[in-house]
Amino acid sequence: MNFDFAAFLEALIHRSPPHVLEHLLLVLVPLLLAVAISFPTGILLTRPRYRPFAGQVLALLNAGQTIPPLAVICIFLPVWGLGYRPAVIALTIYALLPIARNTIAGISGVPLEVREAARGMGMTAREVLLQVELPLSFPVIMTGIKTSAVLTVGTATLATLVGARGMGAVIFAGINFRRVELILAGTLVIGVMALLLDRILTLIEYALTPRFLR
Amino acid sequence: MIELEGLTKHYPNSKKPAVDDFSLKMAEGETCVFVGPSGCGKTTILRMINRLVEPTSGSIRIDGKDVLSADQDQLRRNMGYVIQQIGLLPHRTVRDNVALVPRLLGWAEERTLKRVQELLGLVGLDPEETGGKYPHQLSGGQMQRVGVARAMAADPPIMLMDEPFGAVDPIVRSRLQDEFLQIQHSFNKTICFVTHDIDEAMKMGDKVAIINEGKLVQHGTPMEVLSQPAGPFVRNLLGEDRGVKLLDLTKCQDLMRRDEGLLQKLQGNPCTIGALQPVKAALEVMLRKDCDTVTVLRGDRAVGALTWQEIKGHIHGLSGEDHEL
Repeated sequence: MNFDFAAFLEALIHRSPPHVLEHLLLVLVPLLLAVAISFPTGILLTRPRYRPFAGQVLALLNAGQTIPPLAVICIFLPVWGLGYRPAVIALTIYALLPIARNTIAGISGVPLEVREAARGMGMTAREVLLQVELPLSFPVIMTGIKTSAVLTVGTATLATLVGARGMGAVIFAGINFRRVELILAGTLVIGVMALLLDRILTLIEYALTPRFLR
Repeated sequence: MIELEGLTKHYPNSKKPAVDDFSLKMAEGETCVFVGPSGCGKTTILRMINRLVEPTSGSIRIDGKDVLSADQDQLRRNMGYVIQQIGLLPHRTVRDNVALVPRLLGWAEERTLKRVQELLGLVGLDPEETGGKYPHQLSGGQMQRVGVARAMAADPPIMLMDEPFGAVDPIVRSRLQDEFLQIQHSFNKTICFVTHDIDEAMKMGDKVAIINEGKLVQHGTPMEVLSQPAGPFVRNLLGEDRGVKLLDLTKCQDLMRRDEGLLQKLQGNPCTIGALQPVKAALEVMLRKDCDTVTVLRGDRAVGALTWQEIKGHIHGLSGEDHEL
């Protein structure tokens, strides 16, 4: 297989761009859904009432993580069929764990004496959560979100297989037609997307992090 | 006044109760020190007063009002709370840490900031220099000062202090103790103070409550406890140097002989001591300067004399029962 640089450039400049937006949607929509589900769940599982269940829920999510994403899509194929929606659902399920795990770890990592003193000063449970636990665990939670984001950029490639397009369309075309230029171009775009997304999230994190933690 | 009555805490997975039928009254403006070995339940008792721990049975009343039916958060906002690990909020400046309770209580910002300035000064910190710092930029002693300032911020009538000076080195601890005694003299708060250090208990307490295995063993002034220890546990806790501790608690003016004739004879005695000094210091003078009589001075005037006889009599009279050991 010989490498045609002109074909590579063509793939990069003309074939990839239309799929970038599709791919971005396949990343951002599941990511936002995963945050919307995992972040509150993580908080809930650190409350005294639900803390006993934290281990079980994490075990369940861990198990979910070990199933290959393609398998997740296949398992639900009879229910959801093909297309954009099942891909989003599968990718969301896949992004849940890192966010939930880091939310729980971050909040549990707030030093006991800090929480104790805050309660002892007469802060309500809600005030402790909003003014102490969340600001202090924010960097850890953001790390979880970044992990999920980068993970989803990669796995979203597979969405093409159930007809959801995205950058996977370029890569799988390359595989099917034995065109290494397409594979490389698609991979490069995905790599850059992952790096940029991580960078943007890091900037958001920095802007929102309490000053002393920086 | 704080009244604890029949207070019991039984943790689900332990056979013996952590606190067992504990009753105690603390008068207003009094510093009561809970002292005992670790695990004796003293911290649990303290934490039941501000309801960080809910008692299994018994009652707690403050000025006659039942604490256990009060709103927890309101209750805590009206009690200062200092813990050994301090627990300053690491993401907030010293100023914001001290301002915590006033802000929870909804004070006007101007009043809060004025109060913060005042308190930082009171605990010996420069408000301008320290106010904007974060806790991790402070030394252990400074952090503990901030912890005390934070607890006092809303001027609560009651302060709960759990080994507040336990984490600093002995020199800083001693200085913090002295300063806190000064502060206490001018504010007269009701203080529950927990420590495992019997010397600290003797120094800080108007009253001492000695606790063992969740039970109150003895409650009294440091003097009463030293002179009439209730049983071997208390004697053991007080240590072998009970007599010396007693001399440390007694002021020269309380033990001296007021004998004009003797004072005449003692004119020009090189061994002198201030009337407010502890007898222990007089003993030191006697040993160092090798004399048998110390003249007690108030200002420049000789007001009495201390001899071996008084000192021996004092120790002997109070700790005679040591013979049974």
